[in-house]
Amino acid sequence: MNNINPDTNQEFCVIGKRIPKLDAAQKAMGRAEYIQDIRLPGMLYGKILYSKFAHARIVKIDISRAKALSGVHAVLIGEDVPDKMRMGFYKDNPPIKKGKVCSFRDEVAAVAATTPEIAKKALGLIEIEYEELPAIFDPEKAMEKDAPIIHEMHKSNVLNLPWHLDYGDVEKAEKASAFVVEERFTTQWVTHCCLGTSGAIALFDAKSNLTIHTNTQIPSLAQKDFLESLKAMGLKNKRVRVIKPIIGGGFGSKLDTYAYEHIAILLAHAVRKPVKILFDRAEEFKATSTRQPTVIYIKQGCDKTGKLTFRDMRMVLDNGAYTSWGATTPSVMMMPITSLYRVDNVRYDAKCVYTNNTYAQAMRGYGNPQATFAIESTLDMLAEKAGIDRVEIRRINKNHPGDTTPQGFKITSCGLSECIDAVQKQIPMDGPKEKGIGTGIASLIHVGGGARIYKSDGCGAILKMDDYGKVDIFTGGTDMGQGLDNITAQIVAEELGLFVEDINVVHSDTDVCPWDVGAHASRSTFVAGNAALGAAKKVKETLLAYGSKLLNVLPEDLVLRKRMIFSAKDPEKTMPIDKLLRKAHFSPQGKMLMADFFYDPDNENMGKDFKGNLSVTYAFGAHGVRVHVDEETGKVKVLDYVAAHDVGRAINPLLLEGQVYGGVVMGLGYALTEEVILKDGETMNANFRDYKLFTAKDAIRIKAPVVETYDEFGPFGAKGIGEPGCVPTAPAIANAVYDAVGVRITDLPITPEKVLAALKKKKG
Amino acid sequence: MKAFKYLIPESVEAAISFYQAHSETARYMAGGTDVIVKVKEGWMEPDYLISLKKIQEMAELHKNEATGELSIGALVTHATLEKSLMIRNDYPILYDAVSNIGSLQVRNMGTIGGNLINAVPSADGAIPLIALDGVALLHGPEGERSCKVIDLFIAPYQTILKPGEILKKITIPPQAPLTGSGYTKFGRRAAMELPLIGIGVLLTLDEESETCTKARICLGVAAPTPMRAQGAEAFLVGKKITEAVLIQAGNLAADESRVRDSIRGTAWHRREMIRVHVRRMGLRCLALIKEGR
Ligand SMILES: Cc1cc2nc3c(=O)[nH]c(=O)nc-3n(C[C@H](O)[C@H](O)[C@H](O)COP(=O)(O)OP(=O)(O)OC[C@H]3O[C@@H](n4cnc5c(N)ncnc54)[C@H](O)[C@@H]3O)c2cc1C
Repeated sequence: MNNINPDTNQEFCVIGKRIPKLDAAQKAMGRAEYIQDIRLPGMLYGKILYSKFAHARIVKIDISRAKALSGVHAVLIGEDVPDKMRMGFYKDNPPIKKGKVCSFRDEVAAVAATTPEIAKKALGLIEIEYEELPAIFDPEKAMEKDAPIIHEMHKSNVLNLPWHLDYGDVEKAEKASAFVVEERFTTQWVTHCCLGTSGAIALFDAKSNLTIHTNTQIPSLAQKDFLESLKAMGLKNKRVRVIKPIIGGGFGSKLDTYAYEHIAILLAHAVRKPVKILFDRAEEFKATSTRQPTVIYIKQGCDKTGKLTFRDMRMVLDNGAYTSWGATTPSVMMMPITSLYRVDNVRYDAKCVYTNNTYAQAMRGYGNPQATFAIESTLDMLAEKAGIDRVEIRRINKNHPGDTTPQGFKITSCGLSECIDAVQKQIPMDGPKEKGIGTGIASLIHVGGGARIYKSDGCGAILKMDDYGKVDIFTGGTDMGQGLDNITAQIVAEELGLFVEDINVVHSDTDVCPWDVGAHASRSTFVAGNAALGAAKKVKETLLAYGSKLLNVLPEDLVLRKRMIFSAKDPEKTMPIDKLLRKAHFSPQGKMLMADFFYDPDNENMGKDFKGNLSVTYAFGAHGVRVHVDEETGKVKVLDYVAAHDVGRAINPLLLEGQVYGGVVMGLGYALTEEVILKDGETMNANFRDYKLFTAKDAIRIKAPVVETYDEFGPFGAKGIGEPGCVPTAPAIANAVYDAVGVRITDLPITPEKVLAALKKKKG
Repeated sequence: MKAFKYLIPESVEAAISFYQAHSETARYMAGGTDVIVKVKEGWMEPDYLISLKKIQEMAELHKNEATGELSIGALVTHATLEKSLMIRNDYPILYDAVSNIGSLQVRNMGTIGGNLINAVPSADGAIPLIALDGVALLHGPEGERSCKVIDLFIAPYQTILKPGEILKKITIPPQAPLTGSGYTKFGRRAAMELPLIGIGVLLTLDEESETCTKARICLGVAAPTPMRAQGAEAFLVGKKITEAVLIQAGNLAADESRVRDSIRGTAWHRREMIRVHVRRMGLRCLALIKEGR
C-alpha cells in the first residue's frame, strides 16, 4: 500500500495505520455507558402498550385501574397526544394511536411509574375494547380496488410518492436487444439486531426546555423532530438538547425518531420528572423498523457482444401501516438501477403500499441490497442466455472513471475493474466443477462522497488546542460503534503532526457540537472527515505562522510531525508543538488556537427527473463466493468469501476490514437465514432463537482486499465504506447456488426448504 | 424478574425435604439454563429455587468396566460429556448430540438431567439416551424408582416426575460389540440452534452374518415428545444393512413421524430430513462398526 502523504511527500504517521478502536478497551471492560446504564435522579420508567390487533377500531379504553395503581405517575392514551404530533416524513404516524390501530406495533397507551415492574403491571390493568377490522398483509393485494383502506384520509393504499424514472428509450432498446431476461424477485423483512436495545430518557428543565438522552444517528435532525413535537405540545421557542450515550449499533435503525422517544417526551412533560423508556429484546424486534421488503419485477437485455442495452424495473414495496424512511429507499435503489454497470436505457417505477404489517426504515445499504439482488441475479441469467462468461459480462459493462451515468452521477475514481480482478484471483470462477460446489460473483456501486438527500449534506467541526499540545474536536459526526472517533482523531493527528492519543473527539451533545445531517449513506468518514480536516488545516496554518516567526523559517518549509515542528530544510530549527502553543498563548496579545469548519460536499440534490450528482464520489466493489449446496437437504454452506472494495484510501485498515466483515456477515444473514416472520401482521420470532442471526460459529473467514484509488475529494483520498459490505452478498450467494446445482432462488432468504423444493421441481 | 430464595442442599434427601417444606412454590434447578430464562421471562415464578449443584453423587460420570454399564449423573454437564474421550469413542451418538448444544457457555452450565426434565420436543440430549436404552433413576419423597428414558416424557414440558422427585442419574446398559451410532441435529445455524429435526440412529450387527440384530431410530421434534420410529427399527432387524435398506428405513421413519409445520420449518422438509439423515446416520453406524472391527 502506498502510504506517502502526497502533500508532504513523507510517509504518513497516523493515516493508514491499524489503530484499534479508541474505546475498545472501555467497552470490553464494561465501562462504556450505554443508555441502559444511565440513571438520573428522580427518574421514572415508561412502558408502552401495543395493539392486540393488526387492524381494529378502538371502541373504549379504561385507564382508571392503571392510574390507581400505587407508583404510577401518568397514563397517556392517543387522546392525550396533540393532533399535530406526528412522526415520519409522511406525517401519518402519531406516537400514540387514537380511534383505530393499523398494526400490531401500534402504541395505544403509555405509563410512567417509579419502577419498570410497576409500569409493566399498570399496562396489564389498561382495558381496551377493540372492534376488529378486515386487514390486509399483501402489498400487491392492497393495491386492488376493493382492498380495505388503511388510512381513511387517503383514498387508496398506494402512497403519493414520485418514484419513477425513464431514461433513454427502454422499449426501443428492448426490441433491439439480442438477449433479454425477465424475472420476479422478492425480499423479506430483516432487522438491524443492534446489541444495544433502543432507549431514551427525556427531561424538562424549569423553563420547559427539553434534554433527551437517546440512541440516535441523527442528532441534529432528531433535535428538529423533537422541536416540532414541543411546538405541537404548545411549547414554543423552547430549546432541545440531544445527548447521545455510547450507541450499541446503528445500521440505519436510528435514522428516524421513534414513538418511544416522543412518548418519553410526553410522559416527562406530564410528570415533570425524567422518564426513561428502554426496550427489551422482544420489543426491539417488534417495535423497531425493518429493512424495506420488496417485490421486484426486472427485465434486462444485452446485444450480441454482451453489452447491456436496457434495464427495466418495477417494484411494489410493502410500506406497512406507517411511513418512515423505508418508503424513500427507491431513491437509493435508483443508484444501482441506473448506474451499476454502463446501461443507457433505464426505467424504474416503485409503488409504496400501505398494509397492516410493520413499517420499514433505513438499514445499511438503504435499498441497494434489494435492487442489487435483482440486477446481479438477472445479469448471470443474461450471461448464460447470451453464452458469455459471467465475469466477462461484468468486465464488458463495468463503469469507468470519468463516466457520467444516465442519472447524472459523475464517476471520479472507479476501481471496479481492480475489484473484479481481486475476486477472481482469490476465487477463480472458471475452475473445474465439483459436485455441489459453485461460485458466484456480484458487484456494487454505492455513494462514497456523501449523499445529498437533505437540503444540506454538511457537517461542522470545531477544533481547539490547549497548552500541552492536546486537541479537542467537537464534531457533528456520530460514532455509533463504526469508529468515526478513530477516523476523526487520525485525520486531525496526521494534519497537526500529533498522535491519536492527543486528540479528544466530542460527538455526543447538540449543545456543544455543530450541525450534521446524520450518520447515514456511508458519509461520515468522507464528510465528517473532511470537516475535521478543514478545521485542522485552519489551525495548522496558524501554527505554521507562529512557528515561522519563532524559528525564523518560511511557513512552507515547516513540517509538523511527531509532536514537533521543524524546518524541512534545516531540521536543527525545531521546537515541540506544545511549547509553540504556550509561546502563542503566554505572550502579549496572546492567542489560543481554535478553528471551526463546515464542510458541505459539492454534490447535488436529485431533480424532479431524479437526475443529479448525488455524491461527490462513488464506492465500488465486487464480491465472490464459493458455496457447497447439499442437494439432499437444500442447505447452503459458504466455503469462501472475498469482498473487494474500492475505498479511495484506507485511513484505518483495521476498522475498514471490520466494516467489511460485519457488512458481509450481515449480508450473509440476509441471503441465507434472517427473516422477521410476520403471520397476519404479527411478529412470530421476536427473539434470537428464532431470528436466525449468524453466530460466530457461522461466520466464515472473509478476505477483504482493498483497492485504493485515492479519490481527489476524499480526506486523504478516502471514500465511504460503511454500507457496501452487505450490498452484493445475496446475489453473489444466489449466483453461486445456481452455479452449484442449477436452481435460481428468487426469494430471500435462501433457505434449505426453498433450495430443496426448487431442486425437486427441477428433477420433476 | 420476580425475587426468589436460593437454597443449596448437599444431598438428595436434603433437597427433597427443602422441596417438601415449600412444595407449591419451589423448583429444582441444575445449570439453570432453562430455569433462569423462564424466571426472567415471568413464565415461572418460584419463591424458592433449590439448586442441586452441590449434590456430589449426582455429578458423577462413571463406566463400570466389569459390567460395561455407564452411569451418568443428572448433573453432568454437556461440556463434561463432550470432553470425555470415553463418551466420544464409545457413545458417538451422545457426543454428537451434546457437542452441538447451544454454545460453549450453555454447555458449561447446562446438565443432561435438566435437558431431560425440561422435556421439550427438541431436547438434543434425550435422543441419544433413548437410542442407548437409557434408564432414568428417580428419587422422590416416596423413595426410588426407575423408568426407561423414553417413558419420562408425557407432553411438551411435562414428565412423569411427581412433585419433589429428582432425577438422580441415567444408566446405559452395556453396548454389544459391533455397535455404531450417530446423531444429526438439522438446523439453520452452526450454533445456538434448536434442531428443526433431530435424528439419532444406533445399529448393532451380528458378528457372523452382518445382519442387524438391534436398531434404534430416534427422532426429536418429530412428535410432541421424543419418539422412536419402531416400524423402521423392526424393518431393519434381521436384514443385511445396505444403503438401499437404509433408504427404506428412512422412508418408514419419515412416515411414522408426526412432524408439523411451524415458523421454524415445514413438515414436508422435516420429513425429507428424516429420510436423508436416517440413511446418512445408518451409513455412519456401518462405517464406525467397520472402523472398530
Ligand atoms: C442459549 C441457549 C441455547 C440452548 N441450546 C440448546 C440446544 O441446542 N439443545 C438443547 O437440547 N437445549 C438447548 N438449550 C436448553 C438447555 O440449555 C438445556 O436443556 C440444558 O441441558 C438444561 O439443563 P440445566 O441444567 O441448565 O437445566 P435447568 O434450567 O437447571 O432445569 C431445567 C428443568 O429441569 C428441572 N431439573 C433440572 N435438573 C433436575 C433433576 N436432576 N431432577 C429433577 N428436575 C430437574 C428443573 O426444575 C427445570 O424444570 C439452550 C438454552 C439456552 C439458554
